[in-house]
Amino acid sequence: MRIDWKQYDPGKLYDELIGAAGQPRPAARVLANYLKSLSDQQLARRQRAAELAIAEMGITFTVYSEGENIDRAWPFDIIPRVIALKEWQAIEAGLKQRITALNLFIDDIYNDRRIIKDKVFPKAMLAGSKNYLPQCQGVSPRFGVWAHICGSDLVRDGDGTVYVLEDNLRVPSGVSYMIQNRSVAKRVFPELFRRQTILPVDDYPAALFDMLAALSPRPLDYPEIVVLTPGVYNSAYFEHAYLAQQMGAELVQGDDLVVGSDDCVYMRTIDGLQRVDVIYRRVNDDFIDPEAFREDSMLGCRGLLRAWRAGNVALANAPGCGVADDKMVYTYVPDFIRYYLDQDPILPNVPSYRCNDPGEREYVLANLKDLVVKPANESGGYGMLVGPQSTLKEREKFARLVQRRPRNYIAQPALSLSTAPTVVGRHLEPRHLDLRPFILSSGTTYVTAGGLTRVALRKGSLVVNSSQGGGSKDTWVLDSRGKR
Amino acid sequence: MLSRVAERFYWMARNIERAENTARLLNAYNLLILDLPRGVGLSWSQLVDIGGSQDIFASRYRSANQRNVLAFMLSELDNPGSIITCVSMARENVRTTRDIMPSEGFEQVNELLLFVRRRLASRTPHSNTYDFLAEIVQRCQGITGLLAGTMSHDAAYQFVRLGRNLERADMTTRILDVGSATLIASDSELTRLENRLWTWLLRALSAHQMYRQTVRRQVSGPVAAGYLLHDVMFPRAVLHTLGEIRACLKVLPRNTTTLRTLRRAERRVRDVDIHAVFPDTFHALIDDIQLDLGDIHSRIHRTWFEPVSRG
Repeated sequence: MRIDWKQYDPGKLYDELIGAAGQPRPAARVLANYLKSLSDQQLARRQRAAELAIAEMGITFTVYSEGENIDRAWPFDIIPRVIALKEWQAIEAGLKQRITALNLFIDDIYNDRRIIKDKVFPKAMLAGSKNYLPQCQGVSPRFGVWAHICGSDLVRDGDGTVYVLEDNLRVPSGVSYMIQNRSVAKRVFPELFRRQTILPVDDYPAALFDMLAALSPRPLDYPEIVVLTPGVYNSAYFEHAYLAQQMGAELVQGDDLVVGSDDCVYMRTIDGLQRVDVIYRRVNDDFIDPEAFREDSMLGCRGLLRAWRAGNVALANAPGCGVADDKMVYTYVPDFIRYYLDQDPILPNVPSYRCNDPGEREYVLANLKDLVVKPANESGGYGMLVGPQSTLKEREKFARLVQRRPRNYIAQPALSLSTAPTVVGRHLEPRHLDLRPFILSSGTTYVTAGGLTRVALRKGSLVVNSSQGGGSKDTWVLDSRGKR
Repeated sequence: MLSRVAERFYWMARNIERAENTARLLNAYNLLILDLPRGVGLSWSQLVDIGGSQDIFASRYRSANQRNVLAFMLSELDNPGSIITCVSMARENVRTTRDIMPSEGFEQVNELLLFVRRRLASRTPHSNTYDFLAEIVQRCQGITGLLAGTMSHDAAYQFVRLGRNLERADMTTRILDVGSATLIASDSELTRLENRLWTWLLRALSAHQMYRQTVRRQVSGPVAAGYLLHDVMFPRAVLHTLGEIRACLKVLPRNTTTLRTLRRAERRVRDVDIHAVFPDTFHALIDDIQLDLGDIHSRIHRTWFEPVSRG
């Protein structure tokens, strides 16, 4: 049996590779025709080869379950998702516009608060923000940039529109898997890489290094850059070790660092204390400094915030930048773009209802069955109500939650996420997916070519998180100008 | 290089070396027991004394018979010198330095732990203990060789070498101390067997064959003790291990005070006239050398693992 695209039926959903009547979309034509030439056995064999490569390369992620940490092989589907360069360029411009506005907003909030004075953003929002840190008031990080590394989640609805679902500004993860997915895909489909121009993604660690080096408070040729990890038990430890190794930076833990009476940060090395210039921290705000935040934290370094405030060390991302990583604040991002940049947003937000607005709350409560209700400060897909798949009991629970803490909830219409063909046994079936590009900002802005595509491997499921049964795909931004 | 990483490499090497030495010691002791006439005043508790863990043993077991001592030395998790403890700690040391340790190094240490656990769980019958211990020795030496052959001989490797040699010196002096204990024993039967005992001590350090080749004299207390202290060629002789430590220290930064401490220890060992201390002050000499080794360890710790904070 060979693949017959006419038998592949995404229904009313938007499929990333196959359009109406089994016709491949233009950017996916070479891929679709190539897949058609494979037998079922060949397809299954390639999927197995990819899984073997992942085991051999030791690409894992850690799941915390039943009191134990389990190292699992990274789930990968060999069929890539393809995006035409032209469409990608528009998305890239939209992401750059968005991160610029977000950084202007964060800097404004911690300094002049013009946006509040001008009544574009209500002051009351800050009072209810878990991620706003008063300790950061009055700090001006270099370039005015707070969110140096951002992972924005994009989804495509049934009509083909690409929306920004959320902006992860705290410690977004997944970029190492994007790079690893590409190295596996190159092993699986070398002929397709030869035949087409697919934009490379492995320049990310170099771009990350350059961005971090630009933040150094000392003008040095070789600033000391470290990656701060919570340690081997963290679910993203693989990524921390990978990025440190790729950048040639030290991978440190909190107790490797010490802040001196000169308010500079040092790491303990066999050469003695060595000054650290830039910390790419993968530890959450709460835990980075027991002196400033959670006293019981064993993961951070006492005095880190003091050193950062004194301008003696750069922290990426800056503490407190999570103030913009809040679903309620998210609903204002289009306003930020208009206010700070005087531009129309290139990428739309998913239409959202703010539960603290009496009129909108009333609508949400009356239509819970058709909406997705999200807490303002969670990530990883936890604590949500997916209306169409909910029970009456769950809806009653959420109605109570929304009424008790309206500032904590927003609601959005349930989107019909786009799909792409995914290997299921020996053939291909449509599965829902999203896309997480990574954006680096310092003096300049860099966007990955594509990003990490996450796919819900269970039929009909919309949950793409790898901790909850999600998988991933390689993402191809295809340059079809001129043939090879 | 991060102090934390240096410290883990150092302890990994010490733990692997200690597991190897303990396995060799147990095997040699087993063989010695087979050779001794019944009723000789040697007891299994001697092995517990060598490990310096009499108190922990006493809190766990009533009598120091073969079964209890073997269990204590092989599988007692509360005994910091037991083989299972050493191998578990070594495995934890490599797991947390996986980004720097050669991947085969991680795999072999990991497999060693799985092997030891599997064999201990299967309640090895007595007759197989020899094979089990011999395989531990072999696997530990495999790990030492693998690291020598695959790691850059940079600072990280120097900490591996430091740990290995300090642990070796430690075990050699502990074993010499057993010899000194029998010197002051009043048991006449035991004194009569002195030569056989010193032969065993050499065997416990895999030194018997090399002793024969180098010394070419019958085994006697002062000559064997002198060999184990002074020989610069035999890798488990104290002076040789100190020479190795000196070579490591020389290429590390900020080494002045540690080198000074080391030279003091080297002088003490080199300058001693073994026939003058034998038998009366031999035990005191060994005590002094052990204190020197402890000082070297503290210096290493203070200099490289725990740089003074500026806070």
